[in-house]
Amino acid sequence: MMLGALDGDAAAEAALLRALAGHFRAYFGRRMGDGAADVEDLVQETLIAVHLKRHTYDRARAFTPWAYAVARYKLIDHYRRRGARREVPLENAEALFEDADPVSRTARQELSRLLDRLPARQRGLVEDVKLAGLSIEETSRKAGMSASAVKVSIHRGVKAMARSVGRGDR
Amino acid sequence: METDDLIARLAADRAARPGPRIDLALAALGALAASLLVMLAFWGLRADLLQALASAAFWMKAGYTAAVALAAWLILDRLARPGGRSPLGMALAAAAVVLVAALAARELALLPSDQWMAVVKGQSWSVCPARIALASAPGFLIAVLALRRAAPTRPALAGAAAGLLAGGLGATAYGLHCDETAAAFLAVWYTLGMLVWAVAGAVAGPRLLRW
Repeated sequence: MMLGALDGDAAAEAALLRALAGHFRAYFGRRMGDGAADVEDLVQETLIAVHLKRHTYDRARAFTPWAYAVARYKLIDHYRRRGARREVPLENAEALFEDADPVSRTARQELSRLLDRLPARQRGLVEDVKLAGLSIEETSRKAGMSASAVKVSIHRGVKAMARSVGRGDR
Repeated sequence: METDDLIARLAADRAARPGPRIDLALAALGALAASLLVMLAFWGLRADLLQALASAAFWMKAGYTAAVALAAWLILDRLARPGGRSPLGMALAAAAVVLVAALAARELALLPSDQWMAVVKGQSWSVCPARIALASAPGFLIAVLALRRAAPTRPALAGAAAGLLAGGLGATAYGLHCDETAAAFLAVWYTLGMLVWAVAGAVAGPRLLRW
């Protein structure tokens, strides 16, 4: 898709940017807190950067690291502008950027603990729909499953998470 | 604006740009030409250039500065792109410096220690780094402009590499004027001269290279 976008195919680029928007939304959401007002601004800014800087993508290399490097740069830039002078030297340092609010941080940690118990495939679906805000259709296309199968799987996943909370089993 | 509208607008813009490799290659050529002009305008070629072409000292000097410039170019070619890193370029730059330092150490080891200062200082130590920095100044500007069209995600390092590219090319040009032959002179003053814009680039990179 990126190659099509580079070669001047507008439809290919639109499809690529739409797919990236979902990934970026999830990426920023994880780091800034879901639904934070800035997430969508940052998604848009990153899409603009991907478009304007697409000539810096080296076709001989993998595309995903390039796209996430753009997103990471925009995230750092965002923090810097906000006056929080913090570096992001490593991907693992993401915990540093969790919202300072202890309640929402615990909630998020709880959430990711619960998510960790789900099978990988189901977990991905729950994250895409419930956290990244993709539609059922987008997710089913991405996962290569039918829309109803996606819905069922998510429903079961959420139920399983609720059960483990109910049991107090952490 | 809704994200979907934004995507439609972005996809509609089909203006194509050349990749950073072409940009950076042109920038290197431009920087070298500018450095040669500065060298010719201020100091001129060394009078014995033709004889010097047959000497090992001349090629050691030219090889060192050209290797630094090449290493910096390799680093830039990677760092101009999001997520890029360049172990090869870094290794080449380090190897050039280490090699010349070793040559200098061997040269000094053969001499009594009371002559070391004289060998290191040569005839022109007091002007050499400043002249190299002057010869490199337009190249630094050109390299930064080329880099601004790219997308470095490590701007301090990219700025340093831009300065090192300009410094390497400027020192290569200045080497056509300078008639110092000692490896120790090269290791100290040329290295210092090449580092001037590299340090400036590291400091100013985050500001100059934002995108």
